[in-house]
Amino acid sequence: MLASSRSLRVIDSGAASALQSQTIWHALAYGVSETGQATLSFVQPAAPYVCLGYHRALEELDLGFCAAAGLPVFRRMVGGGPVYLDDDQLFFQIILPVREVPMVRAVALERLLLPAVQAFRECGVDASLRDGEICVGDRKICGHGAGQIADAVVVCGNLIGGFDHECATRILRLPDLAIRTEVERMMRRYVLATPAPMADFKAALISAYAAAFEWTPEPGEMSTVERAELVRLDREFVTSEWVTGQIPSRGPTIRIKIREGVRVARAQRGDTTLLVSSVAGTVVHAELTGVHDLTPVLGRRLGDVASTLRDNIPGLAFEAFELAMELAA
Amino acid sequence: MSSPSLEQVAGYPLALDRHFAPTTHAWVQVVGPNRVRVGIDALGAETNGTLAQLVFLPIGTRVDVGQSVGTVEAAKFVGPLASPIRGVVCAVNAAVAEDAGLVERDPYGEGWLVELEPDDLEADLGELLTGDDAREWFARRIAEYRAEGVLAQ
Repeated sequence: MLASSRSLRVIDSGAASALQSQTIWHALAYGVSETGQATLSFVQPAAPYVCLGYHRALEELDLGFCAAAGLPVFRRMVGGGPVYLDDDQLFFQIILPVREVPMVRAVALERLLLPAVQAFRECGVDASLRDGEICVGDRKICGHGAGQIADAVVVCGNLIGGFDHECATRILRLPDLAIRTEVERMMRRYVLATPAPMADFKAALISAYAAAFEWTPEPGEMSTVERAELVRLDREFVTSEWVTGQIPSRGPTIRIKIREGVRVARAQRGDTTLLVSSVAGTVVHAELTGVHDLTPVLGRRLGDVASTLRDNIPGLAFEAFELAMELAA
Repeated sequence: MSSPSLEQVAGYPLALDRHFAPTTHAWVQVVGPNRVRVGIDALGAETNGTLAQLVFLPIGTRVDVGQSVGTVEAAKFVGPLASPIRGVVCAVNAAVAEDAGLVERDPYGEGWLVELEPDDLEADLGELLTGDDAREWFARRIAEYRAEGVLAQ
């Protein structure tokens, strides 16, 4: 299991360019892969940008908006969705050799995120792990992602000092105002900024990881190998091949995850569209073309929407049932 | 393709017509004179969590033992799919790339991942577990996961 009586290298890169706010910690991961040195890294982007999870399609983004707003787009090597990032956020990454991380992903994530929860709490934020995410109550306060890079595992997260819900929605390629409005509404409801002082949070995070794994924290710097990796990654991350990736098209149905268990989904056949928001599988909002009162489906399980439409709204087009079935799948 | 010889071990199916890589939960099935199929066993599928995405390397890519034949994402955690044998990727399962849940629903059947043309099948299969050894390893691993609280008792 996780090693004890070891040093924890702490690297605080301060403010970095949008690109290097990603490439620095990827480079560190390659270094940790070689040396086995557990590392906690901090970096803050100097400028806003958009970042795609490793497996996410570029077509999920409104690239026209991103370009007009001067937002570069990068792809990271860890999971999660497309996100808007800016200098109101402090990123942290805990990086370990893969051999020291539990093989079961849920266990690994819990062990590596719990110290971050503790750090939030030290800063007066009533954080807890909920459905695998760091939340205050039912609102997500930290965007995390994880991945294996060479022989190292990285778990990243952020302290969100302020969150631009409108821009976070605007970067997404959404086909109409209805879904854009709903995604932004759900983000405002379920994503929360926790403006703790960044210096306090850094200190708390270092203490929490050191205590959890019996590590001795020591300030460190990038190694020669890591600096060489940084140069390589700075080149690779801006190539169109890397940014585009080899990700299959998502198809016409849109599913936006606001946080774990909270989703906005939209399906379309011809002129008929069905928009449904759900929390833990229960419908909290619904819109269907040509139907003005969808009260009967509110509070229902997603799987029951089709039958509820059939039983309560006479004369409904068959497409509506198909769409409901699709969103429930 | 013959149907898998499934045996229940401590509540989890184990296909005993396969060879298993105990560190990665990968299985290997010989499906032709110079062709093997690779997948993830039922325990590996369960402990990965709900799979969100699988992406494979292009057909024709040569891989060594332990090298990745693709990547998998579950719970926002991206990791490699480590090959249990040396060879060349000659087919990928488009169905699981489209619906990653197939791996959990049918890990020994429709949820297979890739097919390889092996470089030295006999040598690589010799490093994997079969029969009683596989059964014993699988049962031990389930017991460990249950003791850790990863799996329900």
